[in-house]
Amino acid sequence: MPFFRYFAGVFFASPSGGGAGSASRWIRARAGRPSVAVMSDLEVRDLTRVFASGGTARRAVDGVSFTATSGLLTGFVGGNGAGKTTTMRMIMGVLAITGGEVLFDGAPVTRADRREFGYMPEERGLYPKQPVLDQLVYLARLRGIAPAAARREVLEHLDRLGLADRAKEHVEKLSLGNQQRVQIVAAIMGQPKALVLDEPFSGLDPAAVDAMADLLREHTRRGVPVLFSSHQLDLVERLCERLVILGGGRVLANGTPDELRSSGVTRHRLVLSGDAGFVRGVPGVRAVDVDGAVALLELDDDAAASRLLSAALERGAVHEFFPVRPTLAQIYREVTA
Amino acid sequence: MTGPTRAGDTARNAWMVVATREIVVRALNKGFVIGLLVTIALIGGLIGFTSYMESRTESFDVAVVAGDESAATALDSLADGRGAASSDDSVEVTVVRVDDAAAAEAALADETADAWLSSAAGGDGEWTLSGWREPDGTLARLVGTTVRGQVLADRAAGVGTSMDDLTAGSEVVTERLDGNPVDPQVVFVAGFVLAFLFFMGAVGSGSMIAGSVIEEKQSRLVEIIATAVPLRQLLAGKIVGSSVIALGQNLVLAGVGLVGASFTDLSSILPSMTASMLWFVVFFTVGFVAVAALYAVAGSLASRTEDLQYTTSPLMMLLMAVYIVTFSADGVLERVLSYIPPASIVSMPVRVLAGDTLWWEPLLSLAILVATTVGAVLLSERAYRGALMQTGGRVSWRSAMAAERGTTLGA
Repeated sequence: MPFFRYFAGVFFASPSGGGAGSASRWIRARAGRPSVAVMSDLEVRDLTRVFASGGTARRAVDGVSFTATSGLLTGFVGGNGAGKTTTMRMIMGVLAITGGEVLFDGAPVTRADRREFGYMPEERGLYPKQPVLDQLVYLARLRGIAPAAARREVLEHLDRLGLADRAKEHVEKLSLGNQQRVQIVAAIMGQPKALVLDEPFSGLDPAAVDAMADLLREHTRRGVPVLFSSHQLDLVERLCERLVILGGGRVLANGTPDELRSSGVTRHRLVLSGDAGFVRGVPGVRAVDVDGAVALLELDDDAAASRLLSAALERGAVHEFFPVRPTLAQIYREVTA
Repeated sequence: MTGPTRAGDTARNAWMVVATREIVVRALNKGFVIGLLVTIALIGGLIGFTSYMESRTESFDVAVVAGDESAATALDSLADGRGAASSDDSVEVTVVRVDDAAAAEAALADETADAWLSSAAGGDGEWTLSGWREPDGTLARLVGTTVRGQVLADRAAGVGTSMDDLTAGSEVVTERLDGNPVDPQVVFVAGFVLAFLFFMGAVGSGSMIAGSVIEEKQSRLVEIIATAVPLRQLLAGKIVGSSVIALGQNLVLAGVGLVGASFTDLSSILPSMTASMLWFVVFFTVGFVAVAALYAVAGSLASRTEDLQYTTSPLMMLLMAVYIVTFSADGVLERVLSYIPPASIVSMPVRVLAGDTLWWEPLLSLAILVATTVGAVLLSERAYRGALMQTGGRVSWRSAMAAERGTTLGA
């Protein structure tokens, strides 16, 4: 039960921020929007990027529009080359935009805004030969955090991620997982106004994934939009309030996981006491798969359902009849097919 | 929603944060510290060796056979320091008196004497300086001069005159009208030293900045930094940081050299050496900014550390050429070079030391250097920003200059 795990994680695995209070804020966040902080959405509109090389132009990102709503975790999903990283780099301003715009709080994003965004690039790296603490303080200072405050905050984060005793070590001495944690600290220092994280969960063990998810939740609770990309669909399904599926540089689907699931064709499963072969003859019913007493069907409308059930009851008992909601993975396969 | 913690430096002052890091990281770098210490030790050793060679006295034991009065007289005058070569006080001669030729040979064989001087038996034969092996050159020259003086004096006395009368009015003294007391030899050595300091400082600190640029590019740290501060600030910080290091290194080395020189014969020309050194420091400081900026571009053109060797090689060649040409140049070539950056960084201070510059010449050359540096920095800034975000293989200067510089990667 991924959903339960996620829920439990919020209640029990949140080391700071006051369990019940923050959980209730979170519940309000689920219900509508969080009421605890200033809300500023991060929005991209018709974002386009063309890479020209050797006379040929490739549209890596083609008119992408979506909103990373404040206080919500937005998952950014897509296969390799779908344009996730290119989009994120354009949002952060490290790649020139060919067309379209990035808005923060309703206005075109500025350099000053971006200075207070937390960003985690796709490829990870830090200064290998500098102690963890020193370089995090350095990066914090570049983002305008005063030295003493930077130090305090870095130590606090390192402590939470179990790296307090490694603060003086050179980054190259740390395991890859721990380097990833240091990178995360670099992104979330200084109460960022938005988080843009490229594959923040890759390379983390399950416990670290949960800790990371908690950490991101703390930021959404502050009312910050968090956009992160991932190719782990189960993770995205479990964590995200919103989902953007990208393929071939375009937005293929965009919405809450529930919306996406219901936007797909809902199928019905029918289990009878006898053979189900007759369903093929019922008007408005398409048989996807019939195997003995079990059938998977697509129904045109409620009238078709009534006809189907009447016909079935005439022939014997109906053991099961219920809608089968597609998993996110199925939706993903459907929209990217 | 600016948090209360954002009370630190603004993006405009980010270069100071960057420069501080560059300096601290470099100053704590073991390789750098060891390299600097080794260089100081080399300079100290060189100065020590020079002053040792200057103050060293060679001593010789020279045998003379009893009864060979002419030889005994010549050696005595050498030993007392009264002979023709008396001005040379670095050679000490001790006379060893032996009974006969056999005893003299024995003394040579068992090394109680270094040489044996015997006068021409009949008065107009040859004098002989014998050794077990070939007698020492310095000794042979001294003995030769002394014997010649003694024989000439005897003959002069024989014809009723004196050596002083004979040589009166025959001496040639040298005089230079510019009043500069600096030996051309010293100027040559100074040229070598300055060229070396320039080369070491430029290549050492230049490689450092290239390395630090590629470190950030390769690890994509630069993407994080670019979202926080303008790349121009990052570049400025790096240039300032590595310039401070290079300048500090040269000040230390120049200081060690000047202090060391004060212990040697060079102490008499210390004022003009110091003036030349100061000019060098000024020229180097200005010129290094350009070198650092170009090295930063070389770093940004690479995509991996391994590419650095390739991307920095044109710069390396230029600096190498400056190094070789400047310390060997003289005359018109040196005069021309003293106006052409980056050679002027070395050649102009050397000319100042040699004393053949007019007061405005270093200033004009400095102005040219400043203009060149400004141009190089502007060019580099553009190329650096263009190349830094291009990944996947080496970037050419052309595509670096042509690249769009991102939406906010500019100012």
